[in-house]
Amino acid sequence: MEIERLMRKAEELAREYGIKYYEVRIAEINATHLEMQNSHLEEFSSNIEIGIGVRAFCGAWGFSSANDMRRAEKAIETAMKIAKLMKGNSKVYLDDPTKDRAEIKAKKAFVDVDLEEKLELVKTVDRLLMDDKIVNRKITYGDGLKWQFYFNSLGSEIETIIPRIRLSFSATAKKGNDMQSYWEIFGGTGGWEIIENTDLEHWTTFVKEKAKSLLNAQLPPSGEFDVIMDPELAGVFIHEALGHASEGDAIKNGESILEGKLGEKIAVEELTVVDDPTLEGKFGSYIYDDEGIKARRVEIIKNGFLNEYLLDRETAAYLNMEPNGHGRAQSYNYQPLVRMSNTYIEPRDWSFEEMLSEVKRGLYLIGDKGGEVDIANGTFMFGAKEGYLIENGEIKAHIRDVALSGKILDVLRNIRAIGKDLKIEFPGYCGKGQWVPVDDGGPHVLTRALVGGLL
Amino acid sequence: MIDELIKILNHKDVEWEIYWEIGRGSSFKIERCELVRAQRKYHSGIGLRIGYKGKIGFSYITGINHDRATLERFVNRTIKLAKVSEVPFHGFPDNNGGNKVKALYDKRIEELSFDDAYATALSLTEKEKEFKEKFGKEYTFSGGLAFGVSTDGIANSNGIEKSEKTTGLSMSIHIVKRSEKSGIGSYYKGFRLMPDFEREISLGLEKALEEVALSYNAKKIDGYKGELILEPHAVASVISILMSNLYGDNVYHRRSRFSKVGDTIASESFTLIDDATLEGKLGSYSFDGEGNPSQRNVLIENGILKSFLFDETYAKLMNTESTGNAVRDFRTTPHIGNSNVIVDGKRENLGDLDKAVILKRVFGEHTANPVSGDFSLTVELGYIIENGEVRPFKDNMFVGNIFELINSIISVGKEKEEVGSFISPRVLAFGKII
Repeated sequence: MEIERLMRKAEELAREYGIKYYEVRIAEINATHLEMQNSHLEEFSSNIEIGIGVRAFCGAWGFSSANDMRRAEKAIETAMKIAKLMKGNSKVYLDDPTKDRAEIKAKKAFVDVDLEEKLELVKTVDRLLMDDKIVNRKITYGDGLKWQFYFNSLGSEIETIIPRIRLSFSATAKKGNDMQSYWEIFGGTGGWEIIENTDLEHWTTFVKEKAKSLLNAQLPPSGEFDVIMDPELAGVFIHEALGHASEGDAIKNGESILEGKLGEKIAVEELTVVDDPTLEGKFGSYIYDDEGIKARRVEIIKNGFLNEYLLDRETAAYLNMEPNGHGRAQSYNYQPLVRMSNTYIEPRDWSFEEMLSEVKRGLYLIGDKGGEVDIANGTFMFGAKEGYLIENGEIKAHIRDVALSGKILDVLRNIRAIGKDLKIEFPGYCGKGQWVPVDDGGPHVLTRALVGGLL
Repeated sequence: MIDELIKILNHKDVEWEIYWEIGRGSSFKIERCELVRAQRKYHSGIGLRIGYKGKIGFSYITGINHDRATLERFVNRTIKLAKVSEVPFHGFPDNNGGNKVKALYDKRIEELSFDDAYATALSLTEKEKEFKEKFGKEYTFSGGLAFGVSTDGIANSNGIEKSEKTTGLSMSIHIVKRSEKSGIGSYYKGFRLMPDFEREISLGLEKALEEVALSYNAKKIDGYKGELILEPHAVASVISILMSNLYGDNVYHRRSRFSKVGDTIASESFTLIDDATLEGKLGSYSFDGEGNPSQRNVLIENGILKSFLFDETYAKLMNTESTGNAVRDFRTTPHIGNSNVIVDGKRENLGDLDKAVILKRVFGEHTANPVSGDFSLTVELGYIIENGEVRPFKDNMFVGNIFELINSIISVGKEKEEVGSFISPRVLAFGKII
């Protein structure tokens, strides 16, 4: 068999080049993608891709990849040659070998669903989004089945199969020169059942009505405000405000504001933040990371204390810790980096009404429009899809185009209330030079932040 | 092998287009003054589009050396996709000549051996170590070096057959200063041709250190409303919010603020150009992803909307000509994108000012709403010049609306700077910082 031959070859070459540690990922991705805009089908593709990625370690990393399996041996040799040349002094965590075959099972495999049925889904959503005031409808469907075989010089051999599926749709409403969009995204690790369990009628109506109502929404005020975030916004908030700064490579490279703060109280006592790749069916879930380490739940903040960083083999060795399964690569042709998976705030006991009554003048902000963080300065920003003004504990005018900014270490201490209504169902992609699927969420959270309004 | 594939396709009763790539990329990463990782990656593949009875199918295959049977299967699979597809087919471009853009390839980069590149990466590492010794432990230096070569080719059933080999090289430097406060400084520069490394490394370190000093001492300000200067980095961030409104597909599908050329949409001091024909620039190419020749497109001239960007499909749908802006790789079908984007306009001296509010870097533009134009961006670094003093600030928000901002432009500077494929001088406009 081809893989066994490559395993033998890798062993042989490692001896020849004096390589301390190496790992190889061979992946086959079977992906379908459909895109429709205003009933006009723009993308309709189904492809299979096979490739190999190799890392070799000799005090520093050498990496090589190829998407033509005839170059597989060459990739192994190139990675080892590079590692040999580099002569670094880094360390890597070595563990006992793991032999496993692990699969995230779908109830209804999407590979068994005809292309015609997938096309029909996109057309149905397009039809449901039609409305006089909606000038643009955009629907994107994607699924990908990833088979991966991982082996390393320690004797690990791990075969994994992960199916991921995603459906997103947006509606843009127009009035005069003014335009507003709204969208929803559904997805996870699993099969066609994720689509079947989505109430398309409800959500398409919801998206249309939101886009239209935003045309009449006000511009947000600007300045420091009390802000209640809904579960979706709380998710992107914690992803940006804490997640990135707790990634081991940012710590190792001296870039993160959280360096040297392990064990310190950096947030309010009520705050516990978790990154958990083992959650069932979530978009950011996996069984083993791309370094052959079993995925593990990590409590980044526990009761206000910085408890654990997200780690891969290299950062764990550097910090004299154990890796926790957060070394992820976008694909076979990328080196693993420390990444988040499903990141969320643990619920507490506040009800939304209690939270609301706490706010004299503030904002209730809803939905995730993405964010960005500068981990060295400790400043982050993120956008909300919409919001409402709050006056004396009551929800008032609808507002649009809101973005917030804050300092990591201030905002974690400014949290005044954490709700009990946990939701982690906001699939997306996180970019850090590579894109990986993630999810995030939380309950409703009350904090204080700088609102970048236009008024 | 491409010839073999063309032979197979010519025997089928379909219209076809192949887009192929073969390339190699290498990079080095420096962390805390140590060279910790390097890579050398190979990629190759072919994307095939088949037009059949008014519909189009697409699939790709990785690798470039396949036997005839594999190629036959690949062709038949794509034809099958075209037969069940409902994506309308508007035709492939005709063979329409075109010029070769100069200075996009440098043999010295293609033939740069890994050992030589390693030596260069080491020299950057050594230089950073020197600075670390000089400035002390409050400073953390990191950086990177990347270079690559790629050949892109296109052929279609209308007789287009073109290929182009290009090279690229980039260098980045990142410095963090942390003591009781934090500051960061970054520098990134890309090249098509082999640069003078020694000079570039020194220049990059100098610029990043200037920035780190400003950033370390920067404090939040109370707020400001009035005339301000955007440096090229900040201009790149805000113009990126505008760009999708100039893409033909968004205009066609009514996701753009604009609907027709000839409207006045900005101040007469503002001109915006997309130009893929510039010699030696990062966003340049001789032909686009459909084989149409690259060209210079004036998008906004003295405030007047002159043109949108088109690929073949949307040009046909909107009864116009492609502007040579089909962007793709072998894994994807073409979509509209920009090449080099150049900001110009009424030029004034915007350097050496004795009183100004200047935004150097902002971030978060992808969270802005391109259809309403509203944005709120975090200020990574800005500074105020007053009475001969420079007072840096950060952590505020720069808020506004892109359509109002381009209407408020008073003038642009005389000196242009490259931020990747974005080329811009300083811009003087009206804005609000909170």
